[in-house]
Amino acid sequence: MRQIVKLKVNGLEKEVAVEVYQTLLEVIREEFKLFGAREGCGIGMCGACTVLADGKPISSCLMLASLAEGKDLVTIEGLADGGTLHPIQQAFIDENAFQCSYCTPGFILTTKTLLEENPAPSAEEVRAYLAGNLCRCGSYVKIQQAVLNAAARLRGAAVR
Amino acid sequence: MLDGHDRVTGRIPYVLNFEVPGMLVGRILRSPFAHARITAVDGSRAEQLPGVSTVLTRADFAPQTPIKGVYGRVFRDQRVVAAEKVRFVGEPVAAVAAVGEERADEALSLIKVEYEELPAVFDEEEALKPGSPLVHDPRPQLDPAFSSLVGNLSDAGNICSHFKLRHGDVERGFAEADFVFDDTFRSPAVQHVPLEPHVTVAHYANGKLTIWTSTQMPHAIRAQMASLFNLPLTRVRVITQTLGGGFGSKGSLRLEPITSFLAWKANRPVKITLRREEEFVTVCKHPATIHLKTGVMKDGILVARQVRALFNTGAYTDIGPIVARNAGSAMSGPYRTPHVRIDSYAVWTNVVPAGALRGFGVPQAVWAYESQMDMIAERLGLDPVEFRRKNIVRDGDHYATGEKLEGVHYEELLRRAAASVNWAPEEAYWRKKSFAGSMSASQKKVHRGKAVTLVIKATITPSTSTAVLKLNADGSLNVLTSSVEIGQGAKTVLAQIASDAAQIPLEKVLVSEPDTDLTPYDQQTSSSRTTFSMGSAVVLAAKDLTRKLMDLAGEFMEVSADDLTLREGKVEVRGVPERSLGYADILRRACRGDLIGEGAFTTQGGLDLETGQGIGSVHWHQAAAACEVEVDTETGKVMVLRFHPSVFAGRVVNPRLCELQTEGSTFFGLGQALFEEMMYDDNGQVVNRTLGDYMIPSFEDGPLELRVTLLEHEGAGEIHGIGETSLPPVMPAIANAIYNAVGVRIKDLPITPEKILRGLKEKNIAEVQHF
Repeated sequence: MRQIVKLKVNGLEKEVAVEVYQTLLEVIREEFKLFGAREGCGIGMCGACTVLADGKPISSCLMLASLAEGKDLVTIEGLADGGTLHPIQQAFIDENAFQCSYCTPGFILTTKTLLEENPAPSAEEVRAYLAGNLCRCGSYVKIQQAVLNAAARLRGAAVR
Repeated sequence: MLDGHDRVTGRIPYVLNFEVPGMLVGRILRSPFAHARITAVDGSRAEQLPGVSTVLTRADFAPQTPIKGVYGRVFRDQRVVAAEKVRFVGEPVAAVAAVGEERADEALSLIKVEYEELPAVFDEEEALKPGSPLVHDPRPQLDPAFSSLVGNLSDAGNICSHFKLRHGDVERGFAEADFVFDDTFRSPAVQHVPLEPHVTVAHYANGKLTIWTSTQMPHAIRAQMASLFNLPLTRVRVITQTLGGGFGSKGSLRLEPITSFLAWKANRPVKITLRREEEFVTVCKHPATIHLKTGVMKDGILVARQVRALFNTGAYTDIGPIVARNAGSAMSGPYRTPHVRIDSYAVWTNVVPAGALRGFGVPQAVWAYESQMDMIAERLGLDPVEFRRKNIVRDGDHYATGEKLEGVHYEELLRRAAASVNWAPEEAYWRKKSFAGSMSASQKKVHRGKAVTLVIKATITPSTSTAVLKLNADGSLNVLTSSVEIGQGAKTVLAQIASDAAQIPLEKVLVSEPDTDLTPYDQQTSSSRTTFSMGSAVVLAAKDLTRKLMDLAGEFMEVSADDLTLREGKVEVRGVPERSLGYADILRRACRGDLIGEGAFTTQGGLDLETGQGIGSVHWHQAAAACEVEVDTETGKVMVLRFHPSVFAGRVVNPRLCELQTEGSTFFGLGQALFEEMMYDDNGQVVNRTLGDYMIPSFEDGPLELRVTLLEHEGAGEIHGIGETSLPPVMPAIANAIYNAVGVRIKDLPITPEKILRGLKEKNIAEVQHF
């Protein structure tokens, strides 16, 4: 059974016909052609499909698309401001905080919420907050450094 | 990495994202039995379901058809879909192509397969016992190219291959030894879990098969697919994009045959994306049982080692014999051992086929010998670091394979590793003060321990890489290679090497994605070989290109090419920098649209099957690991406080990427040390096939401190790959550190809290009885 839902992704609203059982992840990839969110496990364990819903990271593989109506959805493609990368993205590049980078969008989006909730996290707090995002290549040391650098950068920007 | 912008914006074009107009979705029906005869397969009801284009079954590969559907690199033992028998739970039996995933799943449920169950065998030791069920009977056909790898094993039951190494006289060695130690170590099946699953898109049109696939070996895939379809190589095109991890799993043929035959039969493009649970029945690390007998003098000098190693290669061979050989050839470790006798077997059983996994057999070997080194040190009353130092191989030594070792760095690696954790002889458990009063008398709940381990590892030898450099009219450079960007940074490092060798600014260099129609041959992206092997090919190609540039520039400037030199995109007269010609100017004056340089890099070597003598590796990869752990004696939980890998890298091209690879190996090893294990039920089914039940290391499992040491040659030495080198010593380092913390020795991975608690309990009982 299909139904029409109105989804707002990266500021753009679009009506899409979805099967009632389709996940938000499938619809973002197939209907919106945004490929930054990726399935890693399909059961909400790895964080590779993370998107922001009203500013909070969710596993888009676990949410039915029809239940995402009315939420303000942001994917990794919506994070950069035009040609300018978000400071968290820039920090990930500066620290080379990725290898295969399949997990990177999930880490960056989760970090965005972390730093909104806690602008000056300790290394321990970073590890705890990001424990739901898995990096099989094991880039954790540099991810931690990138998050701490991004935090410092964002605090600096706020002071100015 | 040069593609960092795409990586942080989610724009890497993984094969996962790839779509072709009119594409169908493929799904695979899998065997529910570990060993069974197939008595009937009926896909007719599935075929009639609206939206279903094609059902692929054994009927498509009937004996009278020219397409056999049989493949395998060593033994031709695998079928696109099962024919007479299935040999493991999860083996593909049929496949469908339909308009969408849901329809394809529905179609699978309509395929009727009837089985007659057969007795199965799962364990590598059981499989060798007389009367054990035979996994392959008769033995499958051996590819003649690999006869030197398997040997003449006509009546060998479930033995797939047998590698022997004979060095010195091991019986004499044991007779001379003051002590002989005999221990058995086990490693379980482990899944690679690349976050990007296996994905293949295939299209067969106008007599040509085009495959977009997540593979580490595009040229090998092309050759095997051409053979399956009876086509010349020109009629098969394999295109690979950047991969979302692989760790060896994306090596041999995986989804390519079944997707391609679906596309061929449907006459439409087909895409198959594995679900996570299917990854667990596709390929894994070899479970291994290793019996290690080591003879040593009372002053700690090693004299003899005998090994019987069983690598469980599962239901199909894949590259099991090469894994067994690679592990077997280095089982004397980085230690002088005059008498060595190794028998390393690949064994067929009815479990998931095992293949390459980061380290290629060496992790299982190092798990055994580095664990035993600490056990021997204790029994001899020696400091385990000093015991190693006494025995490490040094420049000019002859290895167990007979080859002379040069550029050996173990003294330095061991020194740095020991220093990184402030190792002192008192760190050994039995030298600790608390040991005297026994653990149970201690009031402390949490105990700390340290350890240091070493590894020696081959890189695949012989091997070949080819590169083509295409200098464009504007002075920019295309680097055409078939090396696969898998997250290791191949495209970045090869661009750096090309930029340096051809003297072209980095921002003007672009490294291609592999495309077998366009990019030249590379053997494989594995074995820590890309920076060394393809990097060397790129340097040779740059030499070819710049020689052509200098010849042309010499003509135009009327000077001998010998008097010319290169600098930043220009050819200039040596010592007269104002007399120069830019690369673009040279091409313009030569009326050339581009200029091509080519380079092929090959290494020679190989080991004799009967003696293991020869050249095992063009150079040997060397590393050390040091760590400190904390063990909670109430919960059995282990926390790795700090981990310090030290790796010999030859010459470092990109320090950041070297660190990342080494840190990655550490996490990869940490998972295998403490919790990763594919669990089977009594029927041979993997039960933990999701990331809910099969854990991989997260941020909170990692060492609190992880610092990498990269050791380099003096001057401009040879590059050593580091992709896998620091992984094997991780597992024994953690095991030995746990021992030094609480005195519990675990010899079968992973070291779970349950095993530690059981060990503590047994130890306490033993101590109480002792006093």
